[in-house]
Amino acid sequence: MIPNIVLQLKGLNKSFGGLLAVKNVDLLVNESSISGLIGINGAGKTTLMNCISGIYRADSGSLDVMGVSCLNWSPHDIARLGVGRTFQIPRVFKRINLIDNVMVPALNDNTDNKTLYERATECLDKVKLYDLRHNNAEELSGGQQKLLELARIMMFNPKIILLDEPFAGVNPTLCRLMIERIKEMREEGKSFLLVSHDLTSIYQLSDHIYVLNQGQVISEGNVDYVKNDPEVIEAYLGNA
Amino acid sequence: MNTILLLNGLVGGVIFGAIYALIGCSLNVLCGVLRVVNFAHGEFIIAGSFLSYVLLTLFGLHPILSLPIVTIAFFLIGFGLYYLLIPRLAKSDEPETSSFLLMFGVSLMMIAAMMWIFEADIRAVEFSFDPINVSLLVIQDAYGEGRDGRVIVPTARLVALGINALLIIVLTYFLYRTLTGKAIRAAIMNREAIQIVGINIHSLSASAFGLAAALAGITGVVLAFVVPSIDPNGGQDISLIGFIIIVLGGLGHPVGALIAGILFGLVEQIATVFLPQAAAQMLGFIILIIVIFVRPQGLMGRMTLR
Amino acid sequence: MAKLGTKKPDDFSKEISAQRLKSSLWYAIITVLILSCFLVPLQDGNLSFMFSLMMWVTLATGINFIAGFTGYMPFGYVAFYGIGTYVTAILVKVLGVSEYLAVPAAGLSGILLALLFAPTLRLNGIFFAIVSLSLAVVCQRLMSLLPEEITGGSHGLNLGVATDRTHGYYAMLIIMFVALVSASWLGRSRLGKALKAIRDDPDAADAMGIHVSRVRLYAWIMSAFFAALAGGAQAWFTGALDPITAFDVLITAKTVIYAMAGGLGTIIGPVVGTVTLVWIDEIVWQQFPVLNNFLLGLIITLLILFMPRGVVGSLMQRFPHLRKYIM
Repeated sequence: MIPNIVLQLKGLNKSFGGLLAVKNVDLLVNESSISGLIGINGAGKTTLMNCISGIYRADSGSLDVMGVSCLNWSPHDIARLGVGRTFQIPRVFKRINLIDNVMVPALNDNTDNKTLYERATECLDKVKLYDLRHNNAEELSGGQQKLLELARIMMFNPKIILLDEPFAGVNPTLCRLMIERIKEMREEGKSFLLVSHDLTSIYQLSDHIYVLNQGQVISEGNVDYVKNDPEVIEAYLGNA
Repeated sequence: MNTILLLNGLVGGVIFGAIYALIGCSLNVLCGVLRVVNFAHGEFIIAGSFLSYVLLTLFGLHPILSLPIVTIAFFLIGFGLYYLLIPRLAKSDEPETSSFLLMFGVSLMMIAAMMWIFEADIRAVEFSFDPINVSLLVIQDAYGEGRDGRVIVPTARLVALGINALLIIVLTYFLYRTLTGKAIRAAIMNREAIQIVGINIHSLSASAFGLAAALAGITGVVLAFVVPSIDPNGGQDISLIGFIIIVLGGLGHPVGALIAGILFGLVEQIATVFLPQAAAQMLGFIILIIVIFVRPQGLMGRMTLR
Repeated sequence: MAKLGTKKPDDFSKEISAQRLKSSLWYAIITVLILSCFLVPLQDGNLSFMFSLMMWVTLATGINFIAGFTGYMPFGYVAFYGIGTYVTAILVKVLGVSEYLAVPAAGLSGILLALLFAPTLRLNGIFFAIVSLSLAVVCQRLMSLLPEEITGGSHGLNLGVATDRTHGYYAMLIIMFVALVSASWLGRSRLGKALKAIRDDPDAADAMGIHVSRVRLYAWIMSAFFAALAGGAQAWFTGALDPITAFDVLITAKTVIYAMAGGLGTIIGPVVGTVTLVWIDEIVWQQFPVLNNFLLGLIITLLILFMPRGVVGSLMQRFPHLRKYIM
């Protein structure tokens, strides 16, 4: 059975002034899978993420989310197509409590308050933040805020989730929890594009990996292939 | 005959424009470096006028001579106020709005203090130059046979213009040629980066605050030359004009404020020739609103504050 | 760290009871407030002072919607109040409309003005503040420029004996009541949650599906509505107005201070802050009139420096378990 393509980029380019940050990138993510995106600092990973979520308008190429071409769409239109996103520095709603934080994506739904509350607390429960549900988001540690972002994404229920450095600064126990949840969500049919420096987690999770260097995809394939690809090794260790 | 009025308006425009330019520049230094929107700026200016008034009435010191005293006094006050007020502000949820409110509180206190000291009367700084007026242009028979039209300027205003021009030149030199000035401009452009290269952002910011306060004080003295009556409640209108200028010129851009100030002065003074006073004032605000929507970075700005 | 599965099935009902507790305390407070205001005329009390109190409570509660909940500080808030006074006065004096219709019409004019000014909500922090202030000034100058037959020019209008003070007083009471009830509703509603999300991170809220511009427009209109109504009631009660006092920036300032002192973003905050400070203001003003503005400035300076979240807000930060009781 041919898997559905949830996200597809073809020939994506983005430059800032004279600097070509993303160069001719082809990338695709299938349904129910996790694609990793790795590369050294400055390779263009976050820029690419921003292009996909609409924060940056790419210069050229094509961007398709579930078959819908959305190259120059605004962030909220792209989000509404079913693209969720977390950020390197967590963007939680600081002065409201965790339950309300998680409820935000579903405020417009036609559900009654009870269902809304139960779904929200369930999401919090899954990331083990249930006991802190009445605390304000600003009272959480950085790692906990990342978990909160994850819970919020769960509530948002998108088809594809862009995770930007979800493990950075998070302690190993919480990391394991996140990895479990991500795997669960994959089983439920969600897709992920995961940017991380934590190669261990990426290798654990990814079905497919893209390696970015100087804005270009220099290698792609499954974990073993990428691990042993001489080009990748050189990019990470050598004279870029 | 209208030409005379127009020319008068033009001259007035340049004179007021130079003052506005100075107001805008000093406000910009604060806004750019500290991201502090100084609502109390008008009150600082009025305080400057009052200080020169006091020096004149108590010590007979000619306003021009009071300039150095005002400069130093206000620099120190500004420098001190920085450390008193600003570091705490940086930790708040919304530094810009908070700074606006904070300085509003300061302005209320300053107005109250000045009202208490000087009472609600409008004071006049009494001194004069000799000759009192200078005739810039004479148009013969403009009002009919034997009645010439004159474009007259009070000497005090010309002196004010001269001081202003000098200040603007010195300020521009300072900002663009000296190390501290360049540091200040760099801080405006990128607050984080400048700390990375080892500059103590606190002492630089305090100096910037001091500089802005000193400029405000000087502007106050010069203002007294142009409009010899000092009204303790007049600060708010001045602050508002200041905001219009810095937005028009581009938030944080010193030269932008200069240009915008002069342009605004010209537009305002010429408008008063044709329109009633209240309408001319409204014109300024309407221009502001249009500019913010059409070109929020103003004439020369790169910064949109966030 | 808690184990998975700590969630219990009856949690939602516990949540409901907790909400009920919060609401009850709040309703108790406002009932006391409203009752005392209601009884004052019947006991020949100080009408002016109590009217003033109700007006400030309404204004503070009103500004809380756009400032505390949504994060926009309207430095030109007085524009809505001023329009309210003028529309009421013009309708009554010039067009002979009864006050009972004129004041609600004033509320409507507030809404219309809010819609007119709505594009300013697109501006970021400081631009919004400056433009808001400028718009209030423009309104003021406009009122003095319009034909004297309509607006009374710079002298303003005098409604004379046509207005019944006591009725004006009760109008303000009703308006305050509606404002407080609206605040109660907002504090528990999804709209309120959406607004706070916009306040904390508008882009993230946007990406989560909140229609930012529409949602914050609701808060904007609500704030303007109550300010205009308050202005209308003021015109009814005092029977006179002029452009300077109707658009005085000090009205915005005091509204902000009173609301902030209590705690923007909370429902109780503005009420608590207003009642406390209006009492203090009254006492100080009686004894030391000149000191008044100085104290006002000092309070706001100290507030911003040391208690930006107000008394209630800071208390909730320090003692998080109090959140169960405070709306």
